[in-house]
Amino acid sequence: MNDYSEKGLLPAGLADMLPPAAVREARINRTLMDVFAGNGYLQVKPPLIEFEEHLLEGSGAALASKMFRVMDPVSHRMMGIRTDITLQIARVATTRMKQDPRPLRLSYAGQVLRVYGSQLRPERQFAQAGVELIGPSETSADAELILLAAEALGALEVENFSIDLTLPTLVPTLCGELGVDEETAASAREALDHKDAAALDDYDATLSQILTALLKAAGPANSALEALEKIDLPEAAAGQVAALKKVVAQLQQAAPDLKLTIDPGEYRGFEYQTGLSFTVFGRGVRGELGRGGRYRLMDGESASGFTLFLDSLMRAVPRRPADDRLYLPFGTGLDQGYALRQDGWKTVAGLAPEDNIEAEARRLNCGQFLGPDGITKLS
Amino acid sequence: MPSSEELVIALPKGRILKEVMPLIRAAGIEPEAAFDDPASRLLQFRTNHPNISIIRVRSFDVATFVAFGAAQLGVAGNDVLLEFDYPEIYAPVDLDIGHCHIAIAQPKELEEDRDPSRWSHIRIATKYPNLTHKFFAEAGIQAECIKLSGAMELAPGLGLCRRIVDLVSTGATLEANGLVEVEKILDITSRLVVNRAALKTRSVELNGWIEKFREVVNAT
Repeated sequence: MNDYSEKGLLPAGLADMLPPAAVREARINRTLMDVFAGNGYLQVKPPLIEFEEHLLEGSGAALASKMFRVMDPVSHRMMGIRTDITLQIARVATTRMKQDPRPLRLSYAGQVLRVYGSQLRPERQFAQAGVELIGPSETSADAELILLAAEALGALEVENFSIDLTLPTLVPTLCGELGVDEETAASAREALDHKDAAALDDYDATLSQILTALLKAAGPANSALEALEKIDLPEAAAGQVAALKKVVAQLQQAAPDLKLTIDPGEYRGFEYQTGLSFTVFGRGVRGELGRGGRYRLMDGESASGFTLFLDSLMRAVPRRPADDRLYLPFGTGLDQGYALRQDGWKTVAGLAPEDNIEAEARRLNCGQFLGPDGITKLS
Repeated sequence: MPSSEELVIALPKGRILKEVMPLIRAAGIEPEAAFDDPASRLLQFRTNHPNISIIRVRSFDVATFVAFGAAQLGVAGNDVLLEFDYPEIYAPVDLDIGHCHIAIAQPKELEEDRDPSRWSHIRIATKYPNLTHKFFAEAGIQAECIKLSGAMELAPGLGLCRRIVDLVSTGATLEANGLVEVEKILDITSRLVVNRAALKTRSVELNGWIEKFREVVNAT
C-alpha cells in the first residue's frame, strides 16, 4: 500500500484497458473497419461532443437520460457527449452529405459515454463500430447489412453467432388494424417483449390469440416463418411478414450456413426502428454482440444500419495469445532489428548490456531472444 | 433434445421447490440422489441428462443467475421478475404454482388510516423496494422503502415503520403478528424463465424444453 494506490481508483463504470486487452480491441476494430471498407463503406468521424439537441433527435430521445451534458463556455449552449454514434451519422447524411449520391454507404468507429450502464453492461464508456446504408428502401439493402455483419464476425473468427430478425412495427401495426387503443397496444407490446405468457391472456380474445401465436412463433427462421404464415393477420401486418420472408429467402440463398432466428415480438431498444431489425448474439456470450435495423432520417429519407459493441465482441472473439515478442540484446544492429520486424517479430530492445540475456528476456515478457545462435525460444 | 453443451437450471430453495420438482420430473429431468438429501452440502446437482445440471439458490438469485447467463433456464416468481426487471429474462411459461400475492399490511390499531389514496408520504419495510416504490409512485405517494431480507412482519411492532409490503399466501403470518392486509398489489405465480441470449443462440434446444414444460403444465 502506498500513496499511489488510491490514484488507481476510477469512477464507477470506467476502466483502464491494459495490454493485451487494449491490443485486442484495436485489432478487432481494425478488422471490422477493413471489412466495412472492403464492402465500399466510407469512414466518417464525427466529434465526441456536440450540441445536445442534435443528439436527442429521433432514437436519441431514448438515451436522453444517459447523456452527459456540459455547458459550452464559448456559445453558452448545452452540449452532450454522444451516447451512440448512429445519430451523428444520420445528421451527417442529412446535412453535409445530402448531395452525395445514394445509396450512401458510411462506416464509423469510436467511443461512446453513458451516465450509467445497464445491468448487463455496467461500463459507462465503450467502443462501437458500425455502418449506415442511406437511401435505399429495398429488402436487398436489409440483406446486404445482415450479410455484412456476418462477414465481419467471420473475419473476426467468431464462431457460433446467430442473427435474430425482428419486426418492431408488427405489433403496433397489428394493434392499429384491430382498432386496439394505444395504451393497451403499448402494454401488449411490452408483455410480448418480455415473453410474459401469463400477461398475454389479459387482452380480448382475438388479440390474445394472435399475441400468444407470435410468442410461440419465435425460433429458427424457417419454422418461425411457417408459424407466422399460419397466423390470421390483418393485411398490413401480413405484408410485413411477407417482406421478412423475402429477406430470409435472400439471406439463405446468399449464405446457406448463416444461423438465423426470428422473434416477431422483440421490441426493447427498437422503439424508433421503422422496419426489419436484427440483433447479433454469440453462443455462450453474455448480452448482444450488436444490433441494427431500418429507420428514417430527420428528413424522412430511408436508412438502415447496424452497430457492433466491441466490449461484447472481446468476449466472443477467440483469444490467440501472441508469442511474438523478441528480445534484442543491447547492441543489436538497427538493420537487423528492422529485418526481424519485417518478418513479423515485435522486437524489444535492451537499453544496456545484460549478463544473462535469457533472464532479461523472460523478465520483459518476451517469448524468445536473439542469441549468438539466432532466435532462441524460451522454454 | 440432443446437445452436448452444458444447460444449467436454477431452482429456488424452500417452499416453491416442493411444487416445482413434480413439474421438473414430469418434463423428464431427474436430479441425482443427493438433491433430496438434506444433509448434502452440494449446490450443483447432476441429472439423468449428461449435459443438464440443477442449481439450488435463493429465489431472488434465480433471476440474477439467469439474467447473466450463468443459468439458461430457471423458475422464478413474477414478484422477483418485476423487482429486478432484467431485460435479459423471458418468462414464456406460467407454471401455475406458488400462488400467492403481494400486499400492503399494517397493524390492526391503524384501523382509521386504511385508505391508501389519502397517504402522501409513508415508510415501508419490504423485500421489494423497487416494486414498492414503483407501485406507490404510480399512485402519487412518496414511499420511503427500508429493505429487509425477511421477517418483515416484525417491523411495525418494533417501531421500524408502520407498514410493510410482503408476500401473502394464507395471511396466517400477518394475523399472528397483529397485522391486517390493506391493499393487494399483485398476484404471484412461478414462471419458467429463460436467458435471452441462450434462447436466441440455442433456440431449437431451449424451445424444445419450453414446449415440454408447457405440455406438462397443461396436463396437470
